[in-house]
Amino acid sequence: MKRILLGSLFAIASVNAFAEAPGGPSCGWGNMLFKGQRGLASHLVASTTNGTSGNATFGMTSGTNGCRTDGALTYSGKPMLVLGSIMDELSEDMAKGDGEALTTYAVVLGVQPEDRAHFAAVTHEHFAEIFSSADVTAEDVHNATLALLKKDARLAKYAEQA
Amino acid sequence: MLKRLLPLLLGGACAALQAAPQLPATRLHELAADPFWLALGHYQRDRLGGWRSHVDDDEFFLAERGERDPTAELAATLAALYQEPALADRHPQCRFPARTRWLRERLNLDDLPQPQCREYADWHADIAPHSTVLVFPAAYLNSPSSMFGHTLLRIDPPGIDTQGSPLLSYALNFGAYIEGSDNSILYAWKGLMGGYPGLFALLPYREKLAEYSRLENRDLWEYRLNLSAAETGRMVEHVWELRQIQFDYYFFDENCSYRLLELLEIARPGLELTDPFPLTAIPADTVRAVQQAGLVERTDYRPSREKELLARAEPLNGTELEWTRRLAEDSAALASPAFQALPAERRALVQDAAYRLIRYRKSGEERDEGSARNSYRLLQAINRNPPPRLAVERPMPPENGHESRTWQLALGSREDQSFAEYGLRMAYHDLEDNLDGFPLGAQIEIAQLKLRQYEGNHWQLQRLDLANIRSLTPRSALLSPWSWQVGGGLERVIGKGRHDDEQLVGHLSGGAGVTWPLAEGLLGFALATARLEQNEDFAAFISPAAGFNAGLLWRNRLGNLGLEASADYFHNGEVRRDLSLVQQWEIAANLGLRLAARREFSQQGAPASELSLQLRWYHY
Repeated sequence: MKRILLGSLFAIASVNAFAEAPGGPSCGWGNMLFKGQRGLASHLVASTTNGTSGNATFGMTSGTNGCRTDGALTYSGKPMLVLGSIMDELSEDMAKGDGEALTTYAVVLGVQPEDRAHFAAVTHEHFAEIFSSADVTAEDVHNATLALLKKDARLAKYAEQA
Repeated sequence: MLKRLLPLLLGGACAALQAAPQLPATRLHELAADPFWLALGHYQRDRLGGWRSHVDDDEFFLAERGERDPTAELAATLAALYQEPALADRHPQCRFPARTRWLRERLNLDDLPQPQCREYADWHADIAPHSTVLVFPAAYLNSPSSMFGHTLLRIDPPGIDTQGSPLLSYALNFGAYIEGSDNSILYAWKGLMGGYPGLFALLPYREKLAEYSRLENRDLWEYRLNLSAAETGRMVEHVWELRQIQFDYYFFDENCSYRLLELLEIARPGLELTDPFPLTAIPADTVRAVQQAGLVERTDYRPSREKELLARAEPLNGTELEWTRRLAEDSAALASPAFQALPAERRALVQDAAYRLIRYRKSGEERDEGSARNSYRLLQAINRNPPPRLAVERPMPPENGHESRTWQLALGSREDQSFAEYGLRMAYHDLEDNLDGFPLGAQIEIAQLKLRQYEGNHWQLQRLDLANIRSLTPRSALLSPWSWQVGGGLERVIGKGRHDDEQLVGHLSGGAGVTWPLAEGLLGFALATARLEQNEDFAAFISPAAGFNAGLLWRNRLGNLGLEASADYFHNGEVRRDLSLVQQWEIAANLGLRLAARREFSQQGAPASELSLQLRWYHY
């Protein structure tokens, strides 16, 4: 009884709330300002580092939308992959000089809490170099960031780690 | 002699390698009745008093009758723990780390073989479970499927507050697993009826965030739970056992929320969270259950991107809003002297609002060069002249809202007849209900029954709603959402009823239109409506009608006031009109008093007026 209690009117509502939505455009992610978020580089890195557990949706790999294989990597692992999935948020945060995506990027680069404000200030100041056009890829952004860090006395050590 | 000894010796060696302890039957039964074992197997009493697991997957059981026999499953598990360690990742110890730990500790199994569980160890190390957050993406007005909300868990590694970022954590989500491309109606139906298997998925939290906050524009509530690292670890250990394991999935009870509560019971044995949900598990109620169990340490709020956009645009005047729209269309206007003439701090706000507006409009669409270039130009401008940090006011958390079930008792009169009315609504909220924790203009009613007792002890079914959903989302200078409503069930209208002037009709109706914010806390709405009615007074079996529904919704000091007019013009010539006024008085969080006045007009009979005073008790 309880399972048929509330019949068919719900048919107009999708059960989205309790289910994985089928993938939309851009692998269900939504529109991206920057290209290359799911670029070849990410997939390549992912497919080579991501050896364990072949199943679809259980950490380490992903794939509910059938188009990504990232998510496998830990803090100290590959900032690139994380970067690839937060490009839009990161660009906005860097432009403003503050935000969760910017902190996240600092974390994956291994920037210690005491240096994060400085990291935010430096990347904010050099936003136009890091995001040099609307067509940059995650790889471009990462390389530009590392180049920038190297020039900064306080942050140079993080560029070497990465 | 030797010949006789050898087999014995060999047998002895094998036994030493494989010997699972032989427990007496009573001890086995006793262990298998332990609530923790029953929780690990997701067992539940069935109607005949036996056991049945919610898990619908042979992979999960080691005993043949494991789905219905916790004792057999326990005995089989115990034996399996002693299998050849060379099985490595395929060893039952690696498949079932939570069962293994529990049995080892309960039975002091210090002679267990030690297989190398590399897959599991890597996986566990990657997640690094340390603390747990219950995440509740709240209802979004314009999306019916979200109206009940959803819950998931976030598993954080150590040092999340100081060293880490939630964007790097994993989200643990239980959902129906949909293969192929069923259309949405079939999808909904199968989802409701258990046609899809339910599976746990573990994926980066940032992806869930993007899905909810950007694509669906839902606010997120994050409840940091006070589970210890050991408790979180125990739960994640069991989650591994559920990898690719299929559950029955039902929208109303065995849904995401129910499964997560089960997991929390495993994290902290002794918690009883699932007991109060015999019939339906509504996510907001599950949050409340977790709250009441004293599990919540801290609550964080993440506004949706839409909320942020509206908050950013809020202080802007008409000209500035005009600029916002223009820049979102074409950000080349940034360089125009007219725009540059605005004060720098106002430009900062406008640029940010315009950027957010583009991203809002483009979310869910394919990337296109034009909008990417526009967005990028705005980002450059924002970079040169950054806006102050955006603060979005935190609304009342959803678990503070009234409870989901409503009992209703009304006294009133219709024309010269007085009546008492008794009602029960299974879920959830209508436009005039106590508002705390709900958005103004949202209504979702499921399964409502009203019985009326007229003078002379004449009883009648007054109303039976299957569902009645209304979404009145106000338009603003930047956003133009549609409002809509849909409903169906049985109700009384003026006609030739058996005892009086009321006829019970079946109907299915819907409408679409627009809502405007007229002032703070005042909405005006107008919708065009359509209706299919099954009415014994009409010649046709089904009669269609078109009409309108317009009104005001006013949030005042007592509660909500609704004033509505509606009309239905039937194909067969009948015209039915209705005027109603409702004022709710919010007496307490879970108690409301409602005054309702209504006048109906129809060509089937004389106009009728109704006045009633209703007590509404929100009670689980």
